[in-house]
Amino acid sequence: MIRTNHVGVDSVAHVAEPARRFLWRQRRADTLEGLSWFSFAVVLALFLADGGWTYFTNIRDLPTGTGIVAGLIGSNLLLVLLLLAARLPVVDRAIGYDLALAAHRRLGKPVLYLILAHLMLLLIGYGLALGRDPVAQAITMITTMPDLPQAFIALTILVLVVLTSLVIVRHKLPYLGWYGVHLLTYAAVLLALPHQFGQGELFAVGTWARWYWLTLYVGTLAAVLVYRFLIPLARNLRHQLRVAEVRAEAPGVVSVVMTGHHLDRLAAHGGQFFGWRFWSPGLHLEAHPYSLSEAPNGQSLRITVRQLGDGSHRLLSVRPGARVFFEGPYGLFTAAARTTGHTVLIGAGIGITPIRALLEDIDTPSGGLTVILRGDDEEHLYLRREVEDICGRIGARLEVLVGLPPHQGRTWLPSAEFAAGQTISTLAPDIPDVDLFICGPKPWAELVMRDARAAGVPRHRIHAERFDW
Amino acid sequence: MRRSSTAIVGVGSAAVLVAGWLAGSARFTTDVPVAPATQLPIAETTPPPTDAGTSPLPTPTEEAPVVVACNGQIVETRYGSVQVQVVLTDGAITDAIALTLTDSSETSVEVSARAAPILREEVLAAQSAVVGNVTGATYTTQAYLSSVQSALDAAGFTG
Repeated sequence: MIRTNHVGVDSVAHVAEPARRFLWRQRRADTLEGLSWFSFAVVLALFLADGGWTYFTNIRDLPTGTGIVAGLIGSNLLLVLLLLAARLPVVDRAIGYDLALAAHRRLGKPVLYLILAHLMLLLIGYGLALGRDPVAQAITMITTMPDLPQAFIALTILVLVVLTSLVIVRHKLPYLGWYGVHLLTYAAVLLALPHQFGQGELFAVGTWARWYWLTLYVGTLAAVLVYRFLIPLARNLRHQLRVAEVRAEAPGVVSVVMTGHHLDRLAAHGGQFFGWRFWSPGLHLEAHPYSLSEAPNGQSLRITVRQLGDGSHRLLSVRPGARVFFEGPYGLFTAAARTTGHTVLIGAGIGITPIRALLEDIDTPSGGLTVILRGDDEEHLYLRREVEDICGRIGARLEVLVGLPPHQGRTWLPSAEFAAGQTISTLAPDIPDVDLFICGPKPWAELVMRDARAAGVPRHRIHAERFDW
Repeated sequence: MRRSSTAIVGVGSAAVLVAGWLAGSARFTTDVPVAPATQLPIAETTPPPTDAGTSPLPTPTEEAPVVVACNGQIVETRYGSVQVQVVLTDGAITDAIALTLTDSSETSVEVSARAAPILREEVLAAQSAVVGNVTGATYTTQAYLSSVQSALDAAGFTG
């Protein structure tokens, strides 16, 4: 009895910390999301305070009023979109960089539609007022009004950015082209500024709206400058990463070990990823996101990469001594994301490598720790030996599932285990009171998630690393 | 978001929107006269009126037409202020001169510059400030006609 009590107290103490962290993170995420929504209300309130409602009191002013509102909402949304991609630490710690980027991608098209509506409706509205058709009105605006030509160029850039982002999804455009066009977004924002503050009556000199919007723009652009450019630059100057070793792990899979200065001061954790840029012929122009395959030990960083897209097959040709430019660390796929005392880690194929790094950071033993590795054959169980060693050392359960999935039935298990009626509950006995970390190909990861949800694991305790960008 | 957070954001947003709406309606529900209408003596053609703005029109003489110029009120709109001077010759409206027109932006300058001549023609033709709206220039129209009416009132013009 005494022993049970002791374990109970110990595990409560152990659970309390992650649970508190989770509540705190949820509060932070809610605050950020709430502030974003609230900003739209503020924008509309400033419009109303300026007498904006009068546009909607007669039919002829309706296009102009709607056009102005579309422009305001679109601009605000664009700023939210830029902040989501600005690598703000507060965003990464609250919702994780992958979710932030997913939201960023979803907002692209709405922003474009709103800005296009802004243009069309104002051309119709002003055209009505001045007795011109919208095309003639557009020509007049471009040729006679200051700041308007830049605004039209800005819109053209936005169209290009959204179009190329749609194309990249279909892998028809090289990464580099997409990246270059994406950087132009900042140019578009800057080009559109003069017409907002010079021509827009809402932002007229001496109004609250002018100060509010100036603050928003300066804040957003400063955040982008600091977190996307200055901080990565400073970190690289400080740590001076270089390739120390390139090692083939398996056919087509290579590990790169990097060393640098003061790596003990780099606040990275197992399960996190970086954007890597290898200063090597044919590689240095492309940044690739790869997770660490070893928890940072203060001396070196290691990634393990499978040959996939344009850059990764050339990694074998990287020579020791090559400079590495990095951005990061990013990601919430860490031991700190846990909300309970029990942990289950599931990795498949190359997705085992972040699991391997995360495993080293799990300080569990009062709760259960189960590791499940999955590969179509033995060869696909990358870093299996290392995982076995760590599991043996810290006393974690290890399940290794090898074999192809069955032809019928959608399952994340190999056919033998599936036929035997295994589920996530039989493989990991602590289910559903666990934090579940999943890393692997997206369709496979979704099947694991479905199994876990069916077994009663709450959504907020399922942590999945997304590689689909 | 959790339900409590959603509620807080919803209430906060509604409060801000209501505050904005109240501030906006306080500013623009009524046209605020800034300067009163004034009747200007035209020295060369008429004797100065003894009590500007309230005295009846001087009696026309046969030798020279009596010309009276009267500045209307300055009327504020969200696009800038509007003021019109009305010229009466022998009791008839013979000219309307826009002294100030909306100027908050290039577009509002263009809008009112287009509307003002149309309104002038209509006022002269109708001999009244009660004329139709110029499409797309609602604010200019209302402010213009309101300024004209105040000038006519100051001049004791009865139509």
